[in-house]
Amino acid sequence: MLSFEGVYRKRGGTLLSGLFGSDPFDFWVGRFYVGLFGAISLGATFLGIAVIAFAISRIGDGDLARVTITAPLREYGLGFAGFDQGGAWQTIVILATVAFAAWALREVEICRKLEMGYHVPIMFSFAISAWLVLQVIRPLLMGCWCEGFDLGFTGHLTWVSNTGFRYQNFYLNPFHAFGVLGFFLTAMVLGMHGSAILGTYNTDPDPVKETSNVDNFWRDYIGYSIGELGIHVLGFWLAIYTLIMSDLCILTSGTVVKDWVDFWHFSIPWFH
Amino acid sequence: MPTVIARPGLPPFETPEPSPLDGGLGWRIGTPFHVPFLARFGVSTQLGTIWLGFWGVLSVIFFFAGLAIETAGGIYQMQGNVLMMVKYFANVQVLPPEGLGMPHSLQDGGFWIGTLTCWALSVICWAARCYERLLRFQWRPYLFFAYMSAILLTSTIWVFRPLVMGSWAEAPGLGLNSDLDWAQNFSVLWGNLYYDPWHMLAIFFLFGSTMLWGMHGATILATAAEGSHKEVAEIKDMHSGSHKSMLFWRWTMGFNANPKTIHDWLWWFSVGTVLSSSIGIITTGTVTHDWYVWGVDHGWVQQYGPITRDAINGRPEPPPIRSKPEQANNNFLTGGPTVGAPAPAQGQQ
Repeated sequence: MLSFEGVYRKRGGTLLSGLFGSDPFDFWVGRFYVGLFGAISLGATFLGIAVIAFAISRIGDGDLARVTITAPLREYGLGFAGFDQGGAWQTIVILATVAFAAWALREVEICRKLEMGYHVPIMFSFAISAWLVLQVIRPLLMGCWCEGFDLGFTGHLTWVSNTGFRYQNFYLNPFHAFGVLGFFLTAMVLGMHGSAILGTYNTDPDPVKETSNVDNFWRDYIGYSIGELGIHVLGFWLAIYTLIMSDLCILTSGTVVKDWVDFWHFSIPWFH
Repeated sequence: MPTVIARPGLPPFETPEPSPLDGGLGWRIGTPFHVPFLARFGVSTQLGTIWLGFWGVLSVIFFFAGLAIETAGGIYQMQGNVLMMVKYFANVQVLPPEGLGMPHSLQDGGFWIGTLTCWALSVICWAARCYERLLRFQWRPYLFFAYMSAILLTSTIWVFRPLVMGSWAEAPGLGLNSDLDWAQNFSVLWGNLYYDPWHMLAIFFLFGSTMLWGMHGATILATAAEGSHKEVAEIKDMHSGSHKSMLFWRWTMGFNANPKTIHDWLWWFSVGTVLSSSIGIITTGTVTHDWYVWGVDHGWVQQYGPITRDAINGRPEPPPIRSKPEQANNNFLTGGPTVGAPAPAQGQQ
């Protein structure tokens, strides 16, 4: 327990206690808060790991970097496949989705306990949206579970590579370009923010002077200081922007656009 | 319960006290003014002042000089037609010369060399400006080293790797699509770049940077009502906002940073991205010619299809990324559907 932790650890405020007046999952194990959704998430995770272990034992490749649990073959379409023909992949995807969603709801309950905003579960939901788009929504739109990515360390890299070339030149996908821009921008702004705090903490007995020293540096350097709250607003929205662009990037490929080189061969009537 | 962040009236302007550290190489210019609209987003409303220093002025001059040379190269490529250059802005590219010698002429890589020289000087001058301002405000030089890491990546792409490979043509051309084409070519010419472990590490740090911004930004915004965003003050003396930020992650994933150490994570993920990218770039085509073969050899990658490892190892070197314009018909104006001038009829040449 942290020195101040006792003040904040209190029961109640969860979904079950609101509905029924008591919550059998409302407790901590060591550092971890459990909760109903923690139990669901943990159950789905252990079940998923068991399925992964069983599937790997059926494949018989002990190299964990190389072994790949592949998506169903195209002939299965949107139906169920046998365990070795992609059923393992389908089971794992379902269990992982349940685990992710329950984890997000567990974060909501922790937010309610701590009486803070819901920004973190909202952000995590955007991250889950990337998983859903890749493994569920786009396969549904394409009419085949085979469109999901294979589960494996180098296996999913092979999928990324193949998908990149399947639609000609993926770099010409504008959402890909805007997504990459977002990734690079987050890395850059992250470095700037980390440097500002690490560079100035405990340089003056007066924290007000330290803060104005940060602001004044940025104004001298680039003419604008976004402010100590503003920098977190910027980081928050940059991350969300990046995730939305990534979602659009893969959602449009193969569904509405088959060829990203051809995509640019349009002519604007008045432009010629 | 959802956070309501107080939005006070516009704060008084803040400008640095004159200091002997300002030195004699520049002066602070402009009058600060407010853009009240920005307050709607929770970001600072004050714009200005800015430091007009020797290194900054030099940096801006070099930047615009480079931009002028690149634009001249683009206009040359469009045979002097400025309108065509604007119209095909995304496709206009200023290409590097073959080999490491002096280019024979401007159009044979001279434009590229001139532009890159100016821009290299520009970023170096900006680094000097960064360091000089850090000295003035007596920061620890984290920002300088983060910026130098970024320069290391760009100079690995544009200078160090071309030097090792023996040709400036290994560097990207200048232009919107030229960058993208280089990235596409680079990722397939040397096997499959996804199997480059340094590329994997760089992607890990890059996606991790976005994830960390999501986690840190969201945590601070969620607790900003209790002052967790006043980070330098919270490092000295923690209050309920920071307590909640820490406890949230401790209860969620069993681990938490604190207002100081979270910024260590942020800084190292940001710098780790460019450092591992630099290693991935410099090793590709120099010490490793095929990352797929490397992956198969080291048991990371499944061997696909009938292509044997020996066949791949025995294949000839890949061709240079691009050959001279007169050898290859890579000018999109003449190679693609003709725009503007009518195509010459068959048999008339």
